[in-house]
Amino acid sequence: MNEPGENDVKDLQQDEQFAERAKQLFDGSVERLDAATLSRLNHGRQKALEELRGAAPHGQWLRWIPVTGVAAAVLVTVMVMRGPNGVDVPLQPATATDLEILLDEDSLEMLEDLEFYSWLEASDLDTNGNVG
Amino acid sequence: MSAAVAVFAVSCIREPSTGAETLQRERQLNQFLAEVERRALRIAEIGIRDRDEALDLVQDAMIKLVRNYGKRAEEEWAPLFYRILQNGIRDWHRRQKVRNRVMVWFSRSASSDEGYDAVAQAPDPAGRAPDEELVNSEAMQGLEIALQALPARQREAFMLRTFEGLDVAATAVAMGCSEGSVKTHYSRAIHALRNKLGEHRQ
Repeated sequence: MNEPGENDVKDLQQDEQFAERAKQLFDGSVERLDAATLSRLNHGRQKALEELRGAAPHGQWLRWIPVTGVAAAVLVTVMVMRGPNGVDVPLQPATATDLEILLDEDSLEMLEDLEFYSWLEASDLDTNGNVG
Repeated sequence: MSAAVAVFAVSCIREPSTGAETLQRERQLNQFLAEVERRALRIAEIGIRDRDEALDLVQDAMIKLVRNYGKRAEEEWAPLFYRILQNGIRDWHRRQKVRNRVMVWFSRSASSDEGYDAVAQAPDPAGRAPDEELVNSEAMQGLEIALQALPARQREAFMLRTFEGLDVAATAVAMGCSEGSVKTHYSRAIHALRNKLGEHRQ
């Protein structure tokens, strides 16, 4: 029979005390959230509840998101395979993983930045990698 | 004929009750989300170190919960909500990694921006907290930095168990792992935190 030793019991008590103190600090930080943040949370909650009413405005344009996402991912594939100086480079395994993530429908924000990446690619890059 | 009348009668009776059920469900969901949203925001904020992004993640989790699990039993909502949120946090980190890789690929000079200074990036509590709360605020800041230094799974286990008060089973659902793993992650987390903060937190 392995009875918990005195040190084990003491250790558990200290764990509990630590967790309790951490919870107090966390709750304090929750209480200190500013009004603007609380307002945004409330707005987000109301928007979520619209889903239940079936009133969420899913516009027709949303149907095009997967198509534009795939198109953007193809663009990135071409850019990555061409290399920074227009030289063809072999597709690395890591790049395939990147593309998988890019194709994820949750990665729209990333795709929105493609215009910026395209601009960077279009800009002249000197040998130090600085945009010229 | 009488059967058709009976069906019509039943449908007439059930129609308003369905609307009432929806209203009741909406009230319950509103109450649940109102109770959980502030803590969820802080948990997400500690996980990704950015309030605006954390707000987006919490809103996204609320929408997904209502859309996909709104009709599930009320007691299932907390673990499901936190599972969605934790997945969102993990996806966010994955996207950040890809974003950084792409940025580095396009511009090697971007390496100077790498490396996160947790102390420099931590929120300044002095700007908002009253004087009497300054000590607690600074202690929380230290706790956040220590939490951010933990491996992600340990951080998740500690925050869900301690901050949100989920039991081991609910935490396992939220983290998508076994109860044994939750216990291991939690134990390692609390010992690491105690070692780092134990002397300074009192």
